[in-house]
Amino acid sequence: MPLLEVEKLTVRFGGLTAVSDFSFHADAGALVALIGPNGAGKTTAFNIITGIYAPTSGSVRFDSHEIGGASPHRICALGVGRTFQNIRLFRSLSALENVRTALIGTQRSGLRDVVRGGRWLRREAELEARGRSLLARLGLERMADVRADSLPYGEQRRLEIARALASDPRLLLLDEPAAGMNPSEKDALCALVAGLRDELGLTIVLIDHDVGFVMNLCERVTVLDHGEKIAEGPPDAVRRDPRVIEAYLGTGEAA
Amino acid sequence: MRERALLLLALGLLVAADVLLPRVLNPYYLTILSRIGVAVLAAVSLQLVNGFTGQFSIGHAGFMAVGAYVSAAVSVHAGAAWLAAWADALPAWALRACYFPVPLLAGGAAAALAGLAVGIPALRLRGDYLAIATLGFGEIIRIAILNVDAVGGARGLSLSAPAHPGLDLRYEGLGAMYGVVALSVAVISRLVYSTGGLAFRAVREDETAAESVGIATTRVKVEAFVVSSFFAGVAGALFAHSEGYIHTNSFSFLRSFEIVVFVVLGGLGSITGAILAAALLTAAPELLRGLGEWRMILYSVLLIATMLLRPQGLFGQREFVPGWLRSRREAPRAAARG
Amino acid sequence: MENFLQQLLNGITWGGIYALIALGYTMVYGVLKLINFAHGDVYMVGAMTGYYLAHAAGFAAHPSLYGLAVTLLVSMAVCGALGATIERVAYRPLRLRGAGRLAPLITAIGVSLLLENTGQLVFGADPKFFPALVESRELVSLGGISLSNVQAVVLATALALMAGLEFVVMRTRFGRAIRAVSFDAPAAALMGVPVDRVILGTFVLGSALAAAAGILVGLSNPKIDPLMGIMPGIKAFVAAVLGGIGNIPGAMAGGLLLGVIETLVAGYLSSTYRDAIAFVVLIAILLLRPTGLFGAPQTEKV
Repeated sequence: MPLLEVEKLTVRFGGLTAVSDFSFHADAGALVALIGPNGAGKTTAFNIITGIYAPTSGSVRFDSHEIGGASPHRICALGVGRTFQNIRLFRSLSALENVRTALIGTQRSGLRDVVRGGRWLRREAELEARGRSLLARLGLERMADVRADSLPYGEQRRLEIARALASDPRLLLLDEPAAGMNPSEKDALCALVAGLRDELGLTIVLIDHDVGFVMNLCERVTVLDHGEKIAEGPPDAVRRDPRVIEAYLGTGEAA
Repeated sequence: MRERALLLLALGLLVAADVLLPRVLNPYYLTILSRIGVAVLAAVSLQLVNGFTGQFSIGHAGFMAVGAYVSAAVSVHAGAAWLAAWADALPAWALRACYFPVPLLAGGAAAALAGLAVGIPALRLRGDYLAIATLGFGEIIRIAILNVDAVGGARGLSLSAPAHPGLDLRYEGLGAMYGVVALSVAVISRLVYSTGGLAFRAVREDETAAESVGIATTRVKVEAFVVSSFFAGVAGALFAHSEGYIHTNSFSFLRSFEIVVFVVLGGLGSITGAILAAALLTAAPELLRGLGEWRMILYSVLLIATMLLRPQGLFGQREFVPGWLRSRREAPRAAARG
Repeated sequence: MENFLQQLLNGITWGGIYALIALGYTMVYGVLKLINFAHGDVYMVGAMTGYYLAHAAGFAAHPSLYGLAVTLLVSMAVCGALGATIERVAYRPLRLRGAGRLAPLITAIGVSLLLENTGQLVFGADPKFFPALVESRELVSLGGISLSNVQAVVLATALALMAGLEFVVMRTRFGRAIRAVSFDAPAAALMGVPVDRVILGTFVLGSALAAAAGILVGLSNPKIDPLMGIMPGIKAFVAAVLGGIGNIPGAMAGGLLLGVIETLVAGYLSSTYRDAIAFVVLIAILLLRPTGLFGAPQTEKV
């Protein structure tokens, strides 16, 4: 039973069909990629899975729960975390505070925040520690108190990942995590993402434009074009698929 | 230990204020001080919604009105009888001290309910639309109250019970009022500056991202709104019981705008900023009475100038708290650098 | 039945005035996505300008259509200039700084308060009586419905102005520029549209129409005072929202509709709730169809 199962998903915005009859799955522990030219519908697919949009038809199942049309915070609570194509950090909050927002969880009680008994103090200390260790895992421990929008670009991307991890997800959706990074940063990210899967047992689906980055990292690649799946399989096979080449380049040689 | 000592000291000061101030200051200054207290609570409660949760609400006076009128009605129709009945059992000051929380809580609760009723539909809207909706609701509340004869309607409501003439339902003790204000500010401050309280600011910064990390943004917005309305109601109740007479004219959208000005000038996202701005802007016009009509003109120019020159207001999103006042029981809070 | 038709007529007359004011709100919102809270006070300045001019130029003593026309045009020019000044001084600097949408809203509140209080200082807080530039007499009486010449003038002027605006917006280059900026300001800028001047022009047009509304109100309800802009301002704003804020025909329709609803409810139910009607309509629209009758829903790209 795959952890994530998208079945015949179609999404229409008015007259525009963004995603059409899209089926996709990710098994537990998989590291797979969703690629395609600009406007192919990849981020839209992510947005459906995470609940920002509702499907027009088709179904999305996470851990056997039907999540199509559910609200994003409920889907997060079920165990889905994500990052965004255009970084969406909480800009005026510090790095540590950004991570802690994901630690709030569903049991927060305003009353306990007011009364502040011993249990509250212990829990706050624990959350602080968890936050810092997550930052450390992503190499951000020295930036804990820095405002998110003051961080350098690469650090911001890593902070978004740290924040997504803080909600304790089982499925992590990374939308263009390597965008704007130089080659050495990309290598580091590559190792990081692989590490997340290996050490934390996460299932990871990532979107990226950098074909090389994706090919090195992922065991299976799915290609979208104009909202439709046009290819799926191991990286090497997909890279040579003529339909994929045509979608990216129009005509001509392999990338 | 130090904390308890400080608390006892504060309590002592408040009691002293209650007893001594009326003997030391003339009624004009007492009135200014009580108006400052109300303004501070109104501003800090609005800060929770506008500054920390990022929702632009401009109908706050409506909730103050609910609190004022409900608390006044409770005192007039029930409180008076109760106070009269127990007049022989306890000394007057003890009786009134026991009674005082009742209208405050009643006013606050009623306002919180109003906040729930307004918040649930209104908070589905964004930005300008939300602002206009809250403005509209504030006015609807005011006009509705104006048309309820049982609470005075167009004549206003006087805090006096005809069945018990001579019984003073007012509570002018500044110590008690400031105690309530301080307690309320502490509650709001603790709500916001905790891990759970980060939810408010997350919603302010980016709702989509907040949802993606598991924050139920609509519930957070409604929560902020209801808590804010509760304390607005308490502020209204304090106002009613110190003035002794209320009229819907005091709760028009001009009053709502005034409170928005406090919050913006103090800094959207700063509790201490709101306190300072509310205090200064309430006191200054009174003390500069000589300016007459120029007061409001100065006010509006100040607002425009601030937005042009220093839009983040006095303190921006920072708090200005002297070290000795910081509590040990603070959430390990990162003072955001950079 | 005649009563109903009479009320309808009255409602349409008021509606025309709301429409004129609403147009200013909607145009500014269209190009700037800003609710210009100060707009209602520009209407007040229009009425006041007309008052002083009419007295100064002797029109008050000798009522005439000529006097009315001059008063109208001068007042529109003065308020157009006022609107331009407000835009340049209070809103444009924020826009150039990329200040987001909250700051201008707060500034707008400030400008509104400034106009009202300066008005009270300069004009005096007591109400004045707008001179009858047209001697009121019954023009037409059809089976119990009477139309006074004042009403006819108000209606005719309002409709003429609205038609004029429609012409400008749909048939001139400037109008096309306004529509372009309303639709997509950055794209319009890239296409060479002088966005700053378009915005300025929008303010001038909207303010001029508000001034005209002020004069017309002065004619039909002569009591004017510095705070007269508050309520009509809010109601006109509701009318703009009702029609779909940013939508010009919507503002016209919304204004007329609100005027009729308000007059009918006040006439048949209770006049004490007259002011509340607008707010109820506002809430209803915001909850049921926030984009208004003619507005298009907007989606945010994530």
